[in-house]
Amino acid sequence: MAEYDLSKTIIPYLDRHLSFPLLAHLVETGVFPADEVQVAQYELAKGTNMFDYAASLFEQIYPNQEVPKEFEQKRVNAVSTHERLQQEAQAVLDVIENPDVAQALRQDKNQNLQYLKDNYKLTLDQITALYNFGKFQYSYGNYSGAADYLYHFRVLSTDPDLTISAHWGKLASDILTGKWDIALEELNSLREAIDSRSPAPFASVSSNTNNTPAVDPALSQLHSRTWLVHWSLFVYFNHPQGRALLLETFLSPTYLNTIQTSCPWILRYVAAAAIISSPTPTSKSTSAPQSSRVKNAVREVVKVIQMENYQYTDPVTSFLMQLHVEFDFEAAQKELQQAEKVVSDDFFLGDFHDEFLESARCLVSEAYCRIHQRIDIGDLSNRLNLPRDEGEKWIVNLIRETRMGQDAKIDLEKNLIQILRPPQPVYQSVIEKTRGLAIRTQTLGAAIARTGVAQAASTASAPQSITQPVAVN
Amino acid sequence: MSRFFRQAGDSDSDSDESEELMSSGDEAPQAKPTTGAKTAMSRFLRKTGPGADSDSSSDSDSDSDEDSDSDSDVPKPKKGLPLRSDSEDSETEEEEDRQGIRIMSAQEKRLAEMEGTGKAMENALKINDWVSISNEFDKLARMIQRQHNVSEPIPPFYIKTLLSLESSLTSAIAKEKEAKKKMNATNAKALNSMKQKVRKAAKEYEQDIAKYQADPDAFERDYTALITRDAPPAPTVARAAIGTAAVTNEDENGGFKPVGKGGRTMLLTAEGIFKSLQAVQEARGKKNTDRGEQIRILEKLLELATTTYQRIRVLLALVSSRFDYNSSASSHMPTELWISAQNEVDQLVAIVASNPAFIVQEITEDYDDLLERSPATEKSGIVRIRGSIISFIDRLDDEFTRSLQNIDPHGTEYVDRLKDEKTLYSTICRAQAFYEQTKQDDPLSRVIMRRLEHIYSKPDAVVHALESSAESADIKPAITLTSSGSTSALIHSLCVYLYKSGNSLHRTRAMLSHIYHYALLNDFHTARDMLLMSHLQESIHSADVATQILYNRTVVQLGLCAFRSGLIKEAQATLQDIFTTQRVKELLAQGVHQQRYQVLTPEQEKAEKQRQLPFHMHINTELLEAAFLVSSMLVEIPLLASIDSEELKRKAISKPFRRLLDFADRQVFTGPPESTRDHIMQASKALQDGEWEKCRDLVQSIKIWSLMPEAASVKEMLAKRIQEQGLRTYLFTYAPHYNTLSLSLLAQTFSLPLRSVTSIVSKMIWNEELAASLDQAGGCIAFHRTEVTRQQQLALIIAEKVNSMAEQNEKALDAKMGTSGGWGDRADGKSGEKRGEQVQERRGRGDRTRGGSRGGGRGRGARFAQGLGNQMGHTSQRAG
Repeated sequence: MAEYDLSKTIIPYLDRHLSFPLLAHLVETGVFPADEVQVAQYELAKGTNMFDYAASLFEQIYPNQEVPKEFEQKRVNAVSTHERLQQEAQAVLDVIENPDVAQALRQDKNQNLQYLKDNYKLTLDQITALYNFGKFQYSYGNYSGAADYLYHFRVLSTDPDLTISAHWGKLASDILTGKWDIALEELNSLREAIDSRSPAPFASVSSNTNNTPAVDPALSQLHSRTWLVHWSLFVYFNHPQGRALLLETFLSPTYLNTIQTSCPWILRYVAAAAIISSPTPTSKSTSAPQSSRVKNAVREVVKVIQMENYQYTDPVTSFLMQLHVEFDFEAAQKELQQAEKVVSDDFFLGDFHDEFLESARCLVSEAYCRIHQRIDIGDLSNRLNLPRDEGEKWIVNLIRETRMGQDAKIDLEKNLIQILRPPQPVYQSVIEKTRGLAIRTQTLGAAIARTGVAQAASTASAPQSITQPVAVN
Repeated sequence: MSRFFRQAGDSDSDSDESEELMSSGDEAPQAKPTTGAKTAMSRFLRKTGPGADSDSSSDSDSDSDEDSDSDSDVPKPKKGLPLRSDSEDSETEEEEDRQGIRIMSAQEKRLAEMEGTGKAMENALKINDWVSISNEFDKLARMIQRQHNVSEPIPPFYIKTLLSLESSLTSAIAKEKEAKKKMNATNAKALNSMKQKVRKAAKEYEQDIAKYQADPDAFERDYTALITRDAPPAPTVARAAIGTAAVTNEDENGGFKPVGKGGRTMLLTAEGIFKSLQAVQEARGKKNTDRGEQIRILEKLLELATTTYQRIRVLLALVSSRFDYNSSASSHMPTELWISAQNEVDQLVAIVASNPAFIVQEITEDYDDLLERSPATEKSGIVRIRGSIISFIDRLDDEFTRSLQNIDPHGTEYVDRLKDEKTLYSTICRAQAFYEQTKQDDPLSRVIMRRLEHIYSKPDAVVHALESSAESADIKPAITLTSSGSTSALIHSLCVYLYKSGNSLHRTRAMLSHIYHYALLNDFHTARDMLLMSHLQESIHSADVATQILYNRTVVQLGLCAFRSGLIKEAQATLQDIFTTQRVKELLAQGVHQQRYQVLTPEQEKAEKQRQLPFHMHINTELLEAAFLVSSMLVEIPLLASIDSEELKRKAISKPFRRLLDFADRQVFTGPPESTRDHIMQASKALQDGEWEKCRDLVQSIKIWSLMPEAASVKEMLAKRIQEQGLRTYLFTYAPHYNTLSLSLLAQTFSLPLRSVTSIVSKMIWNEELAASLDQAGGCIAFHRTEVTRQQQLALIIAEKVNSMAEQNEKALDAKMGTSGGWGDRADGKSGEKRGEQVQERRGRGDRTRGGSRGGGRGRGARFAQGLGNQMGHTSQRAG
């Protein structure tokens, strides 16, 4: 399954620290040899300030060698830096944590700064110390601390670049500490920030970004969005409401474009999310009201997948393709088998394996029933990758709980499902067609009346303006 | 007459005659349409001037025996006449150039002429007729100017006249002031203008006047001395020659050489290079200069040139005079001239590239043309010379294209000419290398653009050939085929350079060429994405015509690419717009369209002709049409079968196809297919009848497919598509007659695998195109046909009509309100969308009428572009 593993494509778009969970997951699944992954982990850790972790990894990889000396030294360095930065930051923190100050702070950042400067002699440099300390904490793995400091910094700072950078840092910290609600909030505000401030160049806390100066603003926005798309996967696949939100976000035109142009592999997650959140008999009662975008997600996703078929395919997307474009149920069944494995191995989708399977079966049977009149139960359960008995149970459940309930009948003798779909009567379609007419005509009349009044008013005030066009004509 | 003479004369007349043939051949079609416009008329007239000239001169040369007789006779009686026409003047001048012996007589003649003019002026002065004085003075000034051109000194007579005029002017003005209203208005005007003219002339010859005033005799002595130095054997020989015609010709044989040397060749020495260069440059662009002669002089000068500076100067002048050789815009440069110009540009580039101390710039500080310059004499150590190599390259390339436009593309000459592209390409590459070396960004991007335009539409093999010649050159550009690996990588790197350069026109063109290249390589998706992301379809209608043509070519190529890759729907949508205009050839600049209701002015016609692409760049329109019609057939026929009401049938996806189909339907008798269209029409009918095998055979027997690369695979793809669409058509057409239909039978009939039959049928059911469902157990399709009674049908129709009426009302209100969506919120977004489309359509129609009245290719291209832009926007959502 290694060819379908996306870790390699995704990691370049992640922060160093965010990649650790991915690598850890790879060790578990065993898609790649464990020692290779460990080497990769070690290489990653070397670049951070997490020396103990790096050293332990080193010991694991090379059990017989001594841990390099440089770690010790760096460690000493880091500790001293830590102390220095902490002192700097503490000064600011003392002031901010003072309840008086907290009350005095307002929305306006400039005013706040002025206030702090006047009353507590806090300068901008000192506030930046918060940022530095937060970043440092992040680098050695103290994510919750980093999140705190970066939050305070963001409240106070006026520097747009550093603020954005703090945004990213905070998001990463929240993700790594697993506070999904906060992370979601953070994600949304970061998204707004990126969408609203297009012209400014983009700078990220991450070390992997190519910091080319003076890039095209549109390009940098695309970069930020690509990054955001990748980072948000963490949030969306962990937050309870995440899948719907993912569809909501990723299917909006701007992000859809981003995915199409710079990272088509995200389509796997979009497709999976669409399948997972499609209504199933079991989930139906619990699910909250969904927006139209989520409801029609499968259809939309199929359209996109079809369009991007030349760029990216994997079992998940081709399952949808086979099912809803080619209507080749046999091929869809095969793809589903593969997709099942892919999903269970995937870092983000792993937890949703069962739901995915359930929904996918639902989709298959729905399509199947819509097209067919008489269905052999054995055949259908075959299509669903289910043993015969289980399949029968499953289908009965499906018929009982979905809308096609009254149309479908099971013929036990012949082991068939009969679906009777009476054609829509003509009067029904006439009613459909003429439904909106009255309202439309009404609004039309209202509009005419309104313009009549407006025109009368304008003739009264300025008769010349009416005569003029007549003369021209 | 001596053999030498005859030979020279013969060859001269030969070339003259051939030129004349050429020019008259070119002028003949031009002369016809001139009736309309005045400007063209005048140009035509002007052009006949030199034609007549060469006529007479070639006559005089070929049989100089009698001619010299008549020549010497003719000018004599005219000598004193004040009024002489220009052509006669030029005649004598040319003769003088050709036969060194007559120089003296001409000089004399001119002097006599001047004196005659002076006399006339004096006479006019007596009767105070300032109008004629003014005229005469103008004539005199012109003569002096000519004197200048042949670098002869100013005769003292002129100075004298000038001085006397000045004095009489002042007195006349004084008189005029005293005596009121004595002069009429025109006269007074002439007087005033005279005053200014004389003042100007006096200023021009200030030095000479001062010298003359100081010592008139000395001035005259200087003058005669100068004249005699220029021509040692002096007037006596000339006089004798004129007097005794044929006999002296024999004598001259011996005496000719020294005369020739003294008269002209003497100037062509290494020292006098700059002087003669200047003379040539001053004569440039004048009406009566013999361009061939000029080139010959310059060629000799090039041989004589010793220093780098001299060589550069002479080369610059030589190349531009070669380009001057043909003044008319319609004819092309002779091939030999072009080749030598190309060689010289190569030389020039090589010289400048190897001598970094010399820079050729378009704008320099003023410097003295007559001085030798070297890096040592310049302050900065760099010699800057005025000139523009990039414009030479541009011109070279343009001339190449123009010659290809004019040569018959089916002859061997065309192929021979095409071979020169190789050398041209290497010249361009060399220039690119040079500009890379000197880091001149603007010309570099121009040169790269030229290079790109030579290779973007060519298949790999041709590009390899071109590149191999470029790489064998001594200096190579940074981007070559070997350095980039493959053709597309080469084009990619060239394009990337142009994207980064600031010029937006280059960027656009590079983008289009890049897309074209991708389309050529059958990389449809990349090409389409690039086209959509470039957002060119929104702005292309404001681009220049050449770019619009490139855009059209790119789009058409994209359509063909889609067709080759089997993306029938995309191909149809892409090609649709250009075919609806019915001006495919014109929009692709591959032929001038015959306008039915309007006549193009000659200028427009000429401009159109100049825009035409050379034949080897053409996209075969017949192939294009075949691709379009076949894809239309595959899209349209199933659709036609699916709709049963007459009303809906009128809405066609592809109008051109539908029109042809209707026409074919009306035919009483259809014979065996001959043209491509016949084939496709009969194939369409076969497809309608469900005879997919006949349809396939007909489509595959179209001969034009052989022109398509990968013809076999395309045919195979078409066969498969025909099978599928045949199945769909069959189902649509015959569904009402069946209750159930076995899938396996269908698979057998259309020889498709059962699986794909099931898939196609399922798709149709899913999309609600077919009211049916599959019976898995029985392996058949069960149709749910609902019979509609007459009453029900009418009810449906009336519902529809009421609907459209409501829509009409909304539209009418929209039109009245001016803006769409200004009134009231619409309950459904759909109608709003539709309205938007209609508005756009309306706008498109407005554009059409405007374009029609303008008649230029521009309006048409714009409309096409706009239409296509919409189309492409609909085809795919990704415009981001």
